[in-house]
Amino acid sequence: MKKLLVFLGVILLAFMLFKELKRKRAPQVFTTTSGRVEMCLACHDEAPEKVHAREVVGCSPCHLGNPLRMEKDLAHAGMIKNPGDLRVVEKTCGRPECHPQMPGKVKKSLMATNRGIINVLLRYWGEIPEDAKNRPEDSVEYLLKTGKNSLALDYYRKLCGSCHLWMEKGKLPDFLAEKGGGCVACHLVKGPKEAKHPVLTRKIPLENCVRCHNRSGRIGLTYQGLYEDEGYGTPYLEGDFGAETLIDGRFVRRIPADVHYKAGLVCVDCHISEETMGDGKAYNHFEESVEITCRSCHGGKGITRKGRKIPRVKKEGGKWILEGIFTGKKHELKPPDPIKCEHTVHKRLSCQACHSPRVPQCFGCHVRYDPREKQLDKLTNRETPGAWEEFRSYMRLEEPTLGVKGDEVVIIVPG
Amino acid sequence: MNSRVNSFIAWAAANSFLLALISGVFLAFPFRVEMPLISTVGIEGVLPFGDFVRGLHFYTGQLAFLFLLLHIVYSLRARSFERKSWFSWSLLVATFPLTVFALFSGYVVRNDEIGSSAGHIAESLLLEVPLIGNFLNHLLMAVSKEGVHRVYAAHFCISFLLFIGLCGWHFNLKRLKIWDLVYVALVAMILTVFYPPLLRPFEPDLSVLGPWFFVGIQELLRHLPPFWAGVVFPSIPVAALWAYKKYSKLAGIILVAWHVFYFFLSLVGFSR
Repeated sequence: MKKLLVFLGVILLAFMLFKELKRKRAPQVFTTTSGRVEMCLACHDEAPEKVHAREVVGCSPCHLGNPLRMEKDLAHAGMIKNPGDLRVVEKTCGRPECHPQMPGKVKKSLMATNRGIINVLLRYWGEIPEDAKNRPEDSVEYLLKTGKNSLALDYYRKLCGSCHLWMEKGKLPDFLAEKGGGCVACHLVKGPKEAKHPVLTRKIPLENCVRCHNRSGRIGLTYQGLYEDEGYGTPYLEGDFGAETLIDGRFVRRIPADVHYKAGLVCVDCHISEETMGDGKAYNHFEESVEITCRSCHGGKGITRKGRKIPRVKKEGGKWILEGIFTGKKHELKPPDPIKCEHTVHKRLSCQACHSPRVPQCFGCHVRYDPREKQLDKLTNRETPGAWEEFRSYMRLEEPTLGVKGDEVVIIVPG
Repeated sequence: MNSRVNSFIAWAAANSFLLALISGVFLAFPFRVEMPLISTVGIEGVLPFGDFVRGLHFYTGQLAFLFLLLHIVYSLRARSFERKSWFSWSLLVATFPLTVFALFSGYVVRNDEIGSSAGHIAESLLLEVPLIGNFLNHLLMAVSKEGVHRVYAAHFCISFLLFIGLCGWHFNLKRLKIWDLVYVALVAMILTVFYPPLLRPFEPDLSVLGPWFFVGIQELLRHLPPFWAGVVFPSIPVAALWAYKKYSKLAGIILVAWHVFYFFLSLVGFSR
C-alpha cells in the first residue's frame, strides 16, 4: 500500500512538473484601466476600435469566458464569438454598465420580431382571423422557441426567415451567412487588417441596411439607383450579361438614384434609433414604427411624427440643416414649396405622390409549393419537406398609381 | 485521540487541516491583501506551480471540513463526549463554527464573484446579530468598508489559533502518521489536477451562488428575514451539538432534521 502511495505521488508530481513546463505562464496580471482582471490580454492582441478599446473594456465583458484563467480550455469555457447575438445580449452588449436599456427594446423591434411579416402571412393565408393583431406569438423568438409551423409559417421560415436579428451570424450558407447577428447585424463593419478585430460603429453604412432591405419594396435598391430587373441579363453586351447582378444572383439595372443618396446621405442620417432599434413598444407593422416623414426635416424642425428629435438636424445661422453622418457635410433643409406643395388643391397629396416619378413594381409575382422537395428552413438551418419557389414577372419601373389611404393621396405599388 | 472514534477519519481531518495551513503559508507570501483578486490570479497564472499550491490549499481546506463533519458523526455515535467535562465539550463545540468560518473566509479573501458576494452577505448577516453584531463585523468582516483586510487577518489568525489550540488539548501532533498525511495530500493533489478550483469572474446576471456549504442559507434568505435565516437557523446545529451531551435523543433528532432540511435547501438553491 505504501509503495502504491509513493508511486502514485511520484506520478502526480511528475505530471505536475510536465504540465508546468509545458504551460505558458503570463508575464504579469493583466488588468483594464478600471483595474478589472483580464488575463485574455496575455495572449490576445486583437484591437477593437477606440470606444471598445482593449485596455478599457477587455475581452470578457463582450465575449464572456473566464478572464481569470490562463489555460486556453478553462479561459475559453462559455465563450461566445458574437456578443451581439440576441440569445446572450443581456450578458454582453446589454450588461448593466454598457447598454442595459437596449436588449429589451431591440427584442421588441420589428427587425427582431418580424411581426408584421408573420402576421400578414398568417392572415392572408387564412390561418388566423382577419382582425388578429398584437399577437405575441407572431414573432421570430416565439417560432424559435416553440418550433411552431404551418403552411404560412413554412413559407416564412424558408423564404423570409433569414432577415431578422435573431439570425445567428454565419449560420446560413453562402451570402446568407452575412445576415443577422443581433446588434452586429447593423453595427459591425470590417476593421483594419492589423487590428484583427471588426469595428463596432454607430455610423451604420448603407450596405448593412441593404443586406436585408432589398426585397419587397426594394427601398434599399431604389435608393441607390438600382432597379431589380425581371430578366436574364439581356440585352447581352459584348457576349456577356447586360446587367449587374446582386450577391444573390438577381439582375439589376442602373436608374437615377434618390436625391438623398446623391447628396451622400445614408439611411441612419434620417432614421432615428427608436425606429430601427425600437422604442420599447411592440408594433405590428413598420408604418407604425417609422417616425420620420419628409416634413420632419423639410419644414418640420427635425421633429418626428412621434415628437422625437432627429439628432442630425439642427438650426445654424437661421437655417435648418442636416449634417451627413459620413460626409460631415451640412445640407440645408429646404421647406416644402409654398406654392406647389402648400397649395390648397395639393393639400391631401403625400410628398411621394409627386416626388416619386418612377417606382419599381411587380405585377406578376406568384409562388409555387412543391411538397415532394426539401428546402432549407432558415430559422433552424435544417432541410425540411416542402419547397417554395418565388416567380417574378411583369416587373416595371413606371409612374406609380395613386390611391387614397385615409385622407391622403399616396402611391400604390404592387409587388 | 480517543480510541472509540474512527481514528483514520479523525487524523484525516487533522492532516487536511495541517496541509491547508502549510499550503496557506506558501500562498500568503505572494498574496496582496490590498489587491486580493489580482494577486490570487497572479498566483494562479504567473507564479510557477502557483495554481497547484492554491488547489492544494483549497482542497485540503474542503477535506478538513468534510472529515471534521464525519469525525463529529462518529464521535457522537461512539458517545466519546461522555468522558469530557462541560467546559471541554463547550470549547470543542465552539471549534466547529470557527472551522466553518476559516473555510468561509478563505472564499471571501480571494474576492472573486463568489467571495465578494459571500463577504457582503456575511457582513449583512453579522450585523443582524443582536448587541454584538457591529463588533463581530468589525472584528471579522467589514468588507464593504475595508475590503478583505480584516477577513484575511481573521482567516489567518483563526486558522492557526484553532490548529494550535486543537494540538494542545484535542490531539497530539506527535502521533500524526506520515502515511496518513501522504494519503490526504494525494487525494488533494488528484482533485487539484483533475478538477482545478476555478475563480468565478464577475458577471452581470446576478445568479451567483456562494460557497457550496452556504447555498442553503442563501436559499433560506429568499424566504425568511436575515435574522432568522442567517443568524438563528445556522445557530441551531451548534446549539444542538452542544446540548447533545445531555439531551442526546432530542439533539440527535434536531441535528438530523436540520441537515436533511439544509440538504433540501441546498438542492433548491443549486437548481436555480
